[in-house]
Amino acid sequence: MKKILGVFLLTSILFSACKKDLTSLNNDPKNPSIVPSYALFTNAQRRLSNTVTSSNVNLNIFRLIEQQWQETTYTDESNYDITTRSIPDGIWNALYRDVLYNFERTKVLIPNDVTGADIQKNEIAITDVMQVYTYYYLVTTFGDIPYTDALDISKPFPRFDDAKTVYYSLLTRLDADIAALNTGAASFGSADVIYGGDVTKWKKFAATLKLKMGITIADLDNAKAKTVVESAVATGVFTSNSDNAQFQYLTSPPNTNPVWVDLVQSARQDFVACSTTMALLKPQTAFADPRLPYYFTVNSTGTYIGADPGSSATFSLFSKPSGPLLVSSSIGKITNPDFPGLLLDYSETEFNLAEAISRGYAVAGSVAGHYNSAVTASVTYWGASATAAAAYLLQPTVAFVTATGGTDLHKIGLQKYLALYNRGWDAWTETRRLDYPVLTAPSTAQTEFPVRFTYPVNEQNVNVTNYNKAATAIGGDLVTTKLFFDKH
Amino acid sequence: MKKSLLTTLCILLLAATQLYAQNHTVTGKVTAKEDGLPVPGVSVSIKGTTTGTQTDVSGRFSLSVPDNTILSFSFIGYITQSVPVSGNTMNVVLVASSQQLGEVVVTGALGISRTRNQQSYAAQQVSGDEVNKTRSSSFVNGLSGKVAGLEIRQNNALGSSTNVVLRGVKSITGNNQALFVIDGVPVNNSNNNSSTQQSGGGGYDYGSPSSDINPDDIESVTVLKGAAASALYGSRGSNGVILITSKKAKKGVGITINSSVSVGEVDKSTFAKYQHSYGAGYGNYYNDPTGYFFYGDVNGDGKNDLVTPTTEDASYGAKFDPNLKVYQWDAFDKTSANFGKATPWVAATNDPTSFFVKPVSNNQSIMITNGTDGGSFKLGFTRNDENGIIPNSSIKKNIVDLGGTYNITSKLSVGGSVNYYNINGVGRPGTGYDGASARNVMTNFRQWWEVNNDVKALKAAYDRTGKNITWNYADPLAGNLTPIFWDNPYYVRYQNFESDTRNRYIGNVNATYKPVSWLTITGRTSLDSYTELDEERKNVSSVGVPYYSRNNKSFSETNYDLLANVDKNLSKSFNLKALLGTNIRKENTQSVYSVTNGGLIVPSVYSLSNSLNTPNAPVEYKGLREVDGIFAGATLTYNNLITLDGTIRRDKSSTLPKANNTYYYPSVAGGFIFSELLKQYTWLSYGKIRANYAQVGADAPVYSVNDTYSIIPPFGSSPQSAVNTTKNNPNLKPERTKSAEVGLELSFFNNRLGFDGSYYATSTFDEILPVNVSTATGYSFSYLNAGTVKNKGIELSLNGTPIRTQDFNWKMTLNFTRNRSKVTELFKDGTGEESKNLELNSYQGGVSINASLNQPFGMIRGTDYKYASNGQKIVGANGQYLQSGPNENIGNSNPDWIGGINNSFTYKGFNLSFLVDIRKGGSVFSTDMYYGLATGLYPETVYTNDLGNPVRNTLANGGGFIRPGVTESGAPNTVRVSASNYGAFGYARLPDKAFVYDASYVKLREALIGYSLPQKTISTLGPIKEVTFQLIGRNLWIIHKNLPYSDPEEGLTSGNLQGYQVGAYPTTRTISLNLKLRF
Repeated sequence: MKKILGVFLLTSILFSACKKDLTSLNNDPKNPSIVPSYALFTNAQRRLSNTVTSSNVNLNIFRLIEQQWQETTYTDESNYDITTRSIPDGIWNALYRDVLYNFERTKVLIPNDVTGADIQKNEIAITDVMQVYTYYYLVTTFGDIPYTDALDISKPFPRFDDAKTVYYSLLTRLDADIAALNTGAASFGSADVIYGGDVTKWKKFAATLKLKMGITIADLDNAKAKTVVESAVATGVFTSNSDNAQFQYLTSPPNTNPVWVDLVQSARQDFVACSTTMALLKPQTAFADPRLPYYFTVNSTGTYIGADPGSSATFSLFSKPSGPLLVSSSIGKITNPDFPGLLLDYSETEFNLAEAISRGYAVAGSVAGHYNSAVTASVTYWGASATAAAAYLLQPTVAFVTATGGTDLHKIGLQKYLALYNRGWDAWTETRRLDYPVLTAPSTAQTEFPVRFTYPVNEQNVNVTNYNKAATAIGGDLVTTKLFFDKH
Repeated sequence: MKKSLLTTLCILLLAATQLYAQNHTVTGKVTAKEDGLPVPGVSVSIKGTTTGTQTDVSGRFSLSVPDNTILSFSFIGYITQSVPVSGNTMNVVLVASSQQLGEVVVTGALGISRTRNQQSYAAQQVSGDEVNKTRSSSFVNGLSGKVAGLEIRQNNALGSSTNVVLRGVKSITGNNQALFVIDGVPVNNSNNNSSTQQSGGGGYDYGSPSSDINPDDIESVTVLKGAAASALYGSRGSNGVILITSKKAKKGVGITINSSVSVGEVDKSTFAKYQHSYGAGYGNYYNDPTGYFFYGDVNGDGKNDLVTPTTEDASYGAKFDPNLKVYQWDAFDKTSANFGKATPWVAATNDPTSFFVKPVSNNQSIMITNGTDGGSFKLGFTRNDENGIIPNSSIKKNIVDLGGTYNITSKLSVGGSVNYYNINGVGRPGTGYDGASARNVMTNFRQWWEVNNDVKALKAAYDRTGKNITWNYADPLAGNLTPIFWDNPYYVRYQNFESDTRNRYIGNVNATYKPVSWLTITGRTSLDSYTELDEERKNVSSVGVPYYSRNNKSFSETNYDLLANVDKNLSKSFNLKALLGTNIRKENTQSVYSVTNGGLIVPSVYSLSNSLNTPNAPVEYKGLREVDGIFAGATLTYNNLITLDGTIRRDKSSTLPKANNTYYYPSVAGGFIFSELLKQYTWLSYGKIRANYAQVGADAPVYSVNDTYSIIPPFGSSPQSAVNTTKNNPNLKPERTKSAEVGLELSFFNNRLGFDGSYYATSTFDEILPVNVSTATGYSFSYLNAGTVKNKGIELSLNGTPIRTQDFNWKMTLNFTRNRSKVTELFKDGTGEESKNLELNSYQGGVSINASLNQPFGMIRGTDYKYASNGQKIVGANGQYLQSGPNENIGNSNPDWIGGINNSFTYKGFNLSFLVDIRKGGSVFSTDMYYGLATGLYPETVYTNDLGNPVRNTLANGGGFIRPGVTESGAPNTVRVSASNYGAFGYARLPDKAFVYDASYVKLREALIGYSLPQKTISTLGPIKEVTFQLIGRNLWIIHKNLPYSDPEEGLTSGNLQGYQVGAYPTTRTISLNLKLRF
């Protein structure tokens, strides 16, 4: 009897162990399986702004490459060491994974939670414009990149597409987005930190980006550039600083400007002004650039001075990026936590228009007129008065006719370089394209002046075959391989 | 389930009461035939039951028995005797067994005992005394070198985790730690250090939970090495099992007291040595005329003075010159005697070696046991206070062990145990490369230091003020005395310390019912549960953002087991042992992590409400796992000659998708005791060959099937969310391991010489991996069943008794392990494109630990030299080495072999033993050397060059050196390179390969001298039965190593990422004095 009982109990327990459904235990109670599309959008927008704004030496070192800033003690990046800190990986991961893919998922989720076909269409178009913007940095940094196969986990080893093909496809997407944007309907609202969902502004943004992308390929394909630029202008580009695409950071972490994190919150003393940019701002002369106090602080003895590129420097002896948190007397704001990240602005737009006219494109105005507007927009954006801008433009080295540089493009190049201060990534593209001002590699540099970034180590490791094909296709995975748009 | 188990227990109890029978007491004495001396510890039991006792020191026993029973007397090395009870006294004479080795009872999977004859897999047993003899607070460390096939890596920081791997790493990203089981209760040993800590960033090593186990409560440890031995444990047994049998009460009241005091000190061969020729700086580019100093008017005399470049955390500055007077950091400290004074420019008298303290630790334990016919009882308390070699670091443990069994009838017994552990850590050493947080002062001392800084002066400055007065002022001339990169190390230790507390319960209740002599049914519910609070803090005025964080963690694992065991002689020659059982395991892991945001408002107040900005919502985790298993097994033996064994287990896991969540673990094993057929050769005492094959599986990590999004703190009032960077997989299958093993056991000359050898091969396939994908996919990782790792290896252990006399005994044990692993498959995408490398982690310095295709698991990758066809290094036109891309294999973190040699001598009451622990080969990357050689800390950066000049002189002054190698055309390099600025010997100019070192070592791991008072003296001491004094040394001497200034064994944490050092802690030598009293 007891034996039977024992056997019975044992079997019943054995069976009870088999029947249960355990699968529900594997549903994570703390993380959602679905989220609102706009939450993804806001985060991706912030990550994008962080990436182009950052001064983190693991991510964005273009201010150093462009000799706007200079490192003090640990001068590796100022000397073009992009491998020790895997900077290409940092950029690739940030833009593809954290930005592009989250925008991609935003597009997928919009129909789920947005009512109104017009609003859905607007939101998808705006998200796509942000993606085009993001791809612009990838393709002008690396050359051939994954595009048709990208953002698809079923293709863990994506093929790389030809850079020019990608670029032209981006232009086609922009056209479609511009056509899709309906200024009569709403979009993201407050989830859009840049324009608060203003579709009119987004349409201008898309056209202005298109203008920029058109100008970028002027040396590659003048006819195409002309068409793109002219059609962009016809759509309507930025007409004042109030059109600027700015990401307004907040005063407290974790949503501050990343420059504040690196330069103020960390209390490190890694960056000072670089002598290259500083010299062009003509400190201690009667011709000092009106933007000078907005760009830099003074050093411990009250003077503006930059350290030489690539060499070590004592923090206290040199000017620093502006802001009262670094030097209390500074009237600039670069190192303030809520200093906005600038994604696209009116000043560069005017420079692009000046260049377009100089290249003979059918755009209204004159080269000098747009040049003057560009410089004025930059000076006033930074905080100096229009009067100061006008005075500055009267200086012989600045006034368009007599400006430094000789050719139209060099004159534009020099002033654009100064206007793109604190936007090292864009400055780098313009330096490569316009070849002016000429930046000399430090004698201690590890390589020549980099005209592209090498592919990420992770791609080299993981995506071997496609990586090798891409490296061959562009003429070698080197920092000295010129990219498709960089013809001189 | 819980309910049904309870019902079972109740019914078992009821049934038992019916079985009470009439008892009477039998007393007697057991002696040995050869010498007529009493034999203590003989197991006396009523045949066919669990009821029994053991003989005491004088060989006596007393047992209450029913009428007409047969008593069984068994003891290792003697033939078991069965004697019918007649009358109230019985004296038994035991005869030594010629087959003794085969009769040794070894605990196997699920606590089921088998004699060695019946055991067809590799298992090695170590006694509790052996494990525990060094009085180390973590018993696991006591296994190093003592078990073939077991690789133990200990980290040196106080309380840090121990890596315990049997037969090599099998699972590329999964857990490879052996499973710990105490008396049938699985014990959690997962490392719950932060992922940043584990990947080499800053953090604290909170240790391995297995180190909670009370060493004083261990009777023996059995290591089940292969899958066949452990297949009954299901997925968790796939990495081998360490079975711990706790102390059991012997007949009568026994009290054991252990009291020990230890003193530790740093093994200086494992810490930095500094050059004494050059002081602070990175080179000559500051603003005094020489370029080596800061320059400004400090004393107000209108002339510029020399000031130490305090921001420069390197020793590549001005040559020391006692006649040169420099304003150093203490000249700016108003509380210092040197305030306002320029002092001679010389190397510090007290370098960072004087930062270490000599910690005194102590351990007290008492264990009270009582065994009667009706059951047994055990109560123990242990208090362990351990202090570390760096200031303000300690771990205090309180452990209570309570256990009892009660024999309700001769057929039914119940038991239970509760072990309570209370662990309190304060100031655990920071680990890793910590950037702004600077919690690991070793990175400061080993990588970024100015050798002119006197550590005792820094201590005095902290002691005087309690403030963060640092040598690393941001800008002394401008009056900015805040630290730029490094805090005063004493401020770090006394202000920015962590604290943690863990309360843990491990316990079980069980019942064993033996309805008939050949059947035993056991039911058991066991629990391992802990709550832990880890608090970390950084005070205001430290480098980086001050913060307070708290991580509330909880874990519980509950197991419900029901097991039926059959042991039946089928005929005179055949014996069958069979089992059938079920196991339900439930795990619940939770944590809530909160941290202040943006800093602290009020200094020294560590609460979330003291946050400068509004804190983000806490990060919560809740993970549940349940695995339901059923299993069966049978062992058939024929005349002690042949054993055949088979087991099967089926598991169903909650972490796998429904369609794939059930999987099987079969094992078959066989043993053949050929010595039975060779009895004419008397020199051969025992000979057995064994072979087995098993398949085991493993489930997936919790939440790797369904995709989720993460919620990010909102941007103002806008919510934010992101796609996770790992793609989950709804089609995962279990990970599988196939394992085969053959073994040979031999014993000669009456067991004076023994040998046990195994050869094994395992293949782990369909590995559940978060594989690296191109991040252009939008993900970093994607969960797949991909990858195969093969391991094969040899384990040998040899034991001998070279001398055995009445008074003097010399025993020797040798263990040898050699494992070879190879990653034979990673993963392919749909197009057949195959991944060649899986990066497991990348570290500071650009090196990574990898699973590379067709390479051993755990390759170190990084930049290498470029080599000419004859193997010489190629030097470029500038005299510097050419370097490869960032992905060359530059080292293999696995040893060629490991081994241990243990010798023990006993002479009357004295004993002496020592263990030499050896590791041959394997590589380690030293980030400390990578940076420390660049910053000029070490003597290697100061020498007289081939021209007879200091190498750090400028080239113009005859300094510099020529890198050995050839030019690209093959001619010997003749270009002299400068060593006058930082970097020449370190990371800036050399590939990662230059900092990969051989991790071999030979260590005198343990040494012990003990003396037990002779029985004659003891008998005069009243109730005292044993008095033993021991002097114990641990990590006394590193006899040989190739890694300079560090211990090659040191790593960051336990886990799969080994072979990388950063901010390494030196080895602690400990000497302990132990007194053991037994009543």
